[in-house]
Amino acid sequence: MPEAQVPSFKRVVIALNGGSSDAQIVALASRFAKIGTTELIAVHIVEIDWTLPLDADIAGNSEEAQRVLDMAESVAEDSKARLTPVLLQARDIGAALVDEASERDADLLVVGLPYRKRFGGDFAIGRTIPYVLKNAPCAVWVVREPIPEEKT
Amino acid sequence: MSAGKGPLKGRKPADRRVRVERPHSAYFRYSGPGQLVAKPAASAPKTAVGRLWNRIRAITIGRPLASEEEIGERLSKKKALAIFSSDAISSSAYATEEILRVLVLAGSGIALVFSLRIAIAISVLLAVVALSYRQVCRAYPSGGGAYSVSKENLGALASLVAAAALLIDYVMTVAVSSTSAVEQIYSVVPSLFPFRVEVAVIAIALITTANLRGLRESGNIFAIPTYLFLGLALTMVGLGVIRVITGQAVDVQQANAVQSGSEGLGIFLLLKAFASGSVALTGTEAIANGVPAFKPPESKNAGDTMIAMAILLAVLFIGITFVSDAYGIEPTLKGGETVVALVAGTVFGHASPLFYLFQAATALILFLAANTSFNAFPRLAALLAIDGYMPRQFAFRGDRLAFSYGIILLAGVAAFLVWRFEGDTHGLIPLYSVGVFACFTLSQIGMVRHWNRHREKGWWYRAGINGLGAVLTALVLVIVTSVKFVDGAYLVVILIPLLVAMMLFIHRQYTSSRRELAIRPGYVAQPSQRQERVIIPIPGINRAVIQAVNVGRSIADDVVAVFITDEPEDAASVRARWEKMVPGVPLVVVESPYRALVGPLAAYLDVLDAAWPADKPAPITFVVVPEYVARHWWERILYNQSVKRLRSALLGRPHTVVVNVPYRREDPEVLPRPDPRSDAPGG
Repeated sequence: MPEAQVPSFKRVVIALNGGSSDAQIVALASRFAKIGTTELIAVHIVEIDWTLPLDADIAGNSEEAQRVLDMAESVAEDSKARLTPVLLQARDIGAALVDEASERDADLLVVGLPYRKRFGGDFAIGRTIPYVLKNAPCAVWVVREPIPEEKT
Repeated sequence: MSAGKGPLKGRKPADRRVRVERPHSAYFRYSGPGQLVAKPAASAPKTAVGRLWNRIRAITIGRPLASEEEIGERLSKKKALAIFSSDAISSSAYATEEILRVLVLAGSGIALVFSLRIAIAISVLLAVVALSYRQVCRAYPSGGGAYSVSKENLGALASLVAAAALLIDYVMTVAVSSTSAVEQIYSVVPSLFPFRVEVAVIAIALITTANLRGLRESGNIFAIPTYLFLGLALTMVGLGVIRVITGQAVDVQQANAVQSGSEGLGIFLLLKAFASGSVALTGTEAIANGVPAFKPPESKNAGDTMIAMAILLAVLFIGITFVSDAYGIEPTLKGGETVVALVAGTVFGHASPLFYLFQAATALILFLAANTSFNAFPRLAALLAIDGYMPRQFAFRGDRLAFSYGIILLAGVAAFLVWRFEGDTHGLIPLYSVGVFACFTLSQIGMVRHWNRHREKGWWYRAGINGLGAVLTALVLVIVTSVKFVDGAYLVVILIPLLVAMMLFIHRQYTSSRRELAIRPGYVAQPSQRQERVIIPIPGINRAVIQAVNVGRSIADDVVAVFITDEPEDAASVRARWEKMVPGVPLVVVESPYRALVGPLAAYLDVLDAAWPADKPAPITFVVVPEYVARHWWERILYNQSVKRLRSALLGRPHTVVVNVPYRREDPEVLPRPDPRSDAPGG
């Protein structure tokens, strides 16, 4: 993208699902972030089953959930970008993501679309991305993971 | 766990979400399962004094660097020549003068005749040493310092001799280069002569600070003084030679020349002059030490740079000696101009800007030469510490990734030498060459052994070159040691074995402690079967004591409080209150008519041990010590003095663990505070 066409964002919410595309989308957002002016907000949401209370001690005790956000912080730091990690528990990931972006007055929401190798390999678009695309109050970037080359 | 007061509302009633607190994130970052990496905040001080000290450190030596921030730059030949050769090339600034200062004892005419021949002889030696070290570059692409070459080929003792000699060599490089740099400065500004020691020590302090900040030799800034000196020195020698050839050279009139002697020119004086001039060879090994820093092919590039350095050094050394001879320049009295300054003044003109520029460049390259030791000494000390021959602190890197202990030790010893020798380069030189030639010799003997063991193609030819180097440098070592023994070389001869003995002693200590701590392979730790008991020495009954009792109860069921007093009346009242307030914990009162505290407690513990059944394994005794935590630094003088004595007395007692239970004023209430209106005891 030529320099003149690079859009500038003040607040970017990056949705992290703990998958392989997380580092890639944080790196991408960090590259577009203007040092000192753009605030990156990495959001990782742990979905809570209806059988449990919403404030059950799940994400706080999950080392994996913490690691997802710590990795994002580390990738952003390498690009000298300012990143705020946010860990949420919610019943529905898409709704929580949209609500968080609205509350933080984000002007961009970045989500990753992972490539699933199982079952022959496909992009499982799921229900979160369509929900976000339909309801997000700001621009949405869907970053598709590259399809791995088949070994011959 | 939730960061807010309650769940956050969404657009729809069911879309609520909860923000989860991440208390670890301020201090740590997860890098893998069960693996945390500390952030800078984790090591940030918590007290105001600590924060102030940190701020001062950040201003003077810079912010702390993470290990991953270390820069590993590969050097081109041009840059490497400037960086690794500054030590060797800069010695051309004082080597000629050192020859002249000896020969002048036999008369100025003789000095001028023989100095050039001696310079040529030293240059031949330099050629052999450079060729020998070129082989080291080839054989040790990972860096072939005298220590590593000797360690691999000659064994531990020889490597320690090499290490000791190298450590002395690095200290001397700092001292000699700094004093010589200051001499170049007061050659231009004579009024600075009375302050030569102060100027040299300040310069060492500045270089130390720069190195503690993590200064690296890889910056372009280091190439400038070296190439500036090289350019101006070669111009000076070139112009001087042209004037001599065209017959324009006339004897310089010197008012403050050293009084010529009338000593006969014997073999001893010639050898002494040769030994003094051989200081020109110092720093030759730097390239062989730094082979990994070169761009690939590392060994070839390092070898080529070594030859280029040797040629440049020889040209400058012979050139400066030749021009000084032709102009009849003699060394001056203390405080006068240096020989190289006189040569520059004669060729460029004493008032010319080129003269001032040359003097500035000479001083700069000499300071740069001092700086090379600030990289080499701490690295060698760290290597020795890793091998267990020096205290482990020398292997620790400071906030700026520099080996701070090594840097500070080097600066301290070098500054002491500058002060002790009153900033006199000539006085320091006899201490310099012994260590240098000892390293050369050991390194070359090691190389002969290396070729003989590996027997690569053409090994006999390579072994021959190193063998010749070993023989010649050993010969010079004998000459340098014998002719300069009385002048100061004896100090090095004493110091090397002392350092070796010290390193062997440290190694023995570390080896024995490692052996004591070693666990046999395959050992699986099982839960302890030994019984545990808790002893709580109490000064009376107060909140800190109650907290200690609670801690003691959480460790073991067998808890005994011990009250040591010199007043029997106190004992009765404390016992009465104790039994009422701390039921279930027996109190033993030990009367101490001699008012001692630590001794009776230790004796009581001994009695307990003696009373333990011999057929059962000795129990672990936890001595739980209540301690009041002072809030201010001055409060520390008022409290816990007995606790400190007790702790140091029990340290190392078999089967005994001392547990400190700090009581802070802001700690949660351990028991209700007494009502000030009531007379009830306790609290």
